[in-house]
Amino acid sequence: MPAATELRGSHGKAAGPVLTKDFGTADLYKLAVYEKIGGYQAWRKALTTMQPAEVTGEVKASGLRGRGGAGFPTGTKWGFLPPPDGGPRYVVVNADESEPGTAKDRYLMENHPHQLVEGILIACYAIQAHHAWIYIRGEYDLQHDLVAAAIAEARTAGYLGEQPLGTEFPIDIHLYRGHGAYICGEETALLESLEGKRAQPRSRPPFPAVKGAWGRPTLLNNVETLSTLPWIISNGGAAYAKFGTEKSPGTRLFTVSGDVQRPGNYEMELGKPFSHLINDLAGGPFPGHSIKVWWPGGCSAPVLTGEMLETPSDMESLAAIGSMGGSGGVIVADDRRCVVRCAYRLLQFYAHESCGKCTPCRVGGNWAVRTYERVLAGEGTAADLATFDRIQTGLAAGRCLCGLGDSAGWVIQWTMERFRDEYEEHILRHTCSVEAAARA
Amino acid sequence: MTLSDHTLKEIRELPPKYPHIRSAVMPALDLVQEELGMLTQEAMTQVAQALQVDPGYVEGVATFYSLFHLEPVGKHHLYVCNNLSCQLRGAEELLTHIKESIGVSEYGQVSADGLFSVEPVECLGACEYAPMLRADHRFHYDLTPAKIDTLLKEWRGDREGKKARKEAHPRAGSH
Ligand SMILES: Cc1cc2nc3c(=O)[nH]c(=O)nc-3n(C[C@H](O)[C@H](O)[C@H](O)COP(=O)(O)O)c2cc1C
Ligand code: SF4
Ligand code: FES
Repeated sequence: MPAATELRGSHGKAAGPVLTKDFGTADLYKLAVYEKIGGYQAWRKALTTMQPAEVTGEVKASGLRGRGGAGFPTGTKWGFLPPPDGGPRYVVVNADESEPGTAKDRYLMENHPHQLVEGILIACYAIQAHHAWIYIRGEYDLQHDLVAAAIAEARTAGYLGEQPLGTEFPIDIHLYRGHGAYICGEETALLESLEGKRAQPRSRPPFPAVKGAWGRPTLLNNVETLSTLPWIISNGGAAYAKFGTEKSPGTRLFTVSGDVQRPGNYEMELGKPFSHLINDLAGGPFPGHSIKVWWPGGCSAPVLTGEMLETPSDMESLAAIGSMGGSGGVIVADDRRCVVRCAYRLLQFYAHESCGKCTPCRVGGNWAVRTYERVLAGEGTAADLATFDRIQTGLAAGRCLCGLGDSAGWVIQWTMERFRDEYEEHILRHTCSVEAAARA
Repeated sequence: MTLSDHTLKEIRELPPKYPHIRSAVMPALDLVQEELGMLTQEAMTQVAQALQVDPGYVEGVATFYSLFHLEPVGKHHLYVCNNLSCQLRGAEELLTHIKESIGVSEYGQVSADGLFSVEPVECLGACEYAPMLRADHRFHYDLTPAKIDTLLKEWRGDREGKKARKEAHPRAGSH
């Protein structure tokens, strides 16, 4: 089974320092190749020379923050699990990757599955879990199979199973396939789905650390977060913290897509400006065009404008301008694109993916879609500006149970805030000068 | 359409793999869909009986997730990503081209020869290869109308489709 296809992003001479440092090595997905470059040495070190608390200590020292979306400090999260009580506890891997514009977990799984498996083993030992479940979106067939093959190889080689590396710490890793629902990326919806139910988020508390999968203490981490662990254990938390900024240490694997010349997954140190990622690594806009609008962390992170490309990529710098690091999926659109139409497309997405549990999200999303349709058909009236505002405030400020509702509201709020004249042009003058110019 | 004894046996063997029997419902529905191409009412009832859960529960799960087909689909069902990154790269034009080429006027409609159906879907996590689609458990990248024509030609020669995942990726370790 070959790796999926041509590598687009950090690899070979342009590989990043942590996650992608070995990308470009032939047959990296095979155990023999991974072992040759030092694979499973971090696992050996953790399991045979470190106490679980020391492993957690290194992760705390690294300052690593979750790469799934919320950016919560990983070591701190591990510390939330109650002490073992003899019953089962789980590591659950979020491999649901469905945030629009985000493809980095796929890139990691299909090219470097053993790095992930090793990270999962380290996390299991740190929180004293004997079972890990990887929840992988159902559309990732090849990636599922490559990860399954890696687990099987690691089992045969004695890295996991009844007696990993000859120790008395049995570990098994299982895979569970999703079936097409964005909401399954939200951690409590994911757990519902893993338990075989409709994926509707749970209200918290209790948090998964206390009562997670099948009612038991559970650690949930993203694929990229876990893939970082072998490097941290091998090199030490302090070495990792030297990358990036003080509050957002390390590197991150960004996906860049849309109107750029070299879309791909690029590993970049946090704090470097997005202009480096978008222009230098991803080749910048097409000749004759300029970047007009971009989303820094999946479409759920509030939208930014082409003037903001120098923003540093750490989470604090993004928060300072009203956005967030999110999933690391950077979507770029150039001067040919109508912002109102982009917002319409995204609201269709949120309306379609709403799980229906809370009213503002279930009703607001569809209402917004219908309003956008009217406006884009040239039938908007001044009242529609107020309608958009009403829907957006109805979704905001914790009125919804999970982040999907907030994100839908942010798309309306921030596209209106930053591109008000485009909305006004559509609504009051029933024209779109952007699309007219692009057609001319 | 009802399930073969073979598939029912496979379904009955699922529960011990999971901490709770309910987690076996979706893997069971996968097996149904691999055999029948869709989830029929009868098959969902058979799953409920085999796993000893309420039939309404099975249906509730089946209707929540978009990868389960409750209506017939073509032998090759095309999931064409139409989220923002793919749309910026021409997904709309591809969708129109596909509908015209297979001779359907609506999404979800099966072509007259039974071979094809097409559905726009949300981001499939391969945005750097936009526009892209998934069919027969495989991704196809950097699509153009010409590439679509080549794929359709290939699929027209494959009248059975590849419903089973194991056939799409032969070395698939089922775990
Ligand atoms: C609507 C929604 C969708 C999400 N989708 C994903 C996803 O696809 N993958 C992911 O890792 N995290 C996703 N998250 C974040 C998870 O809830 C969770 O914070 C994360 O998986 C925790 O792992 P981390 O601490 O390693 O980041 C999503 C959150 C929300 C609110
Ligand atoms: S905000 Fe939307 S997706 Fe989240 S729980 Fe409420 S209805 Fe479901
Ligand atoms: S937007 Fe099409 S694969 Fe992500």
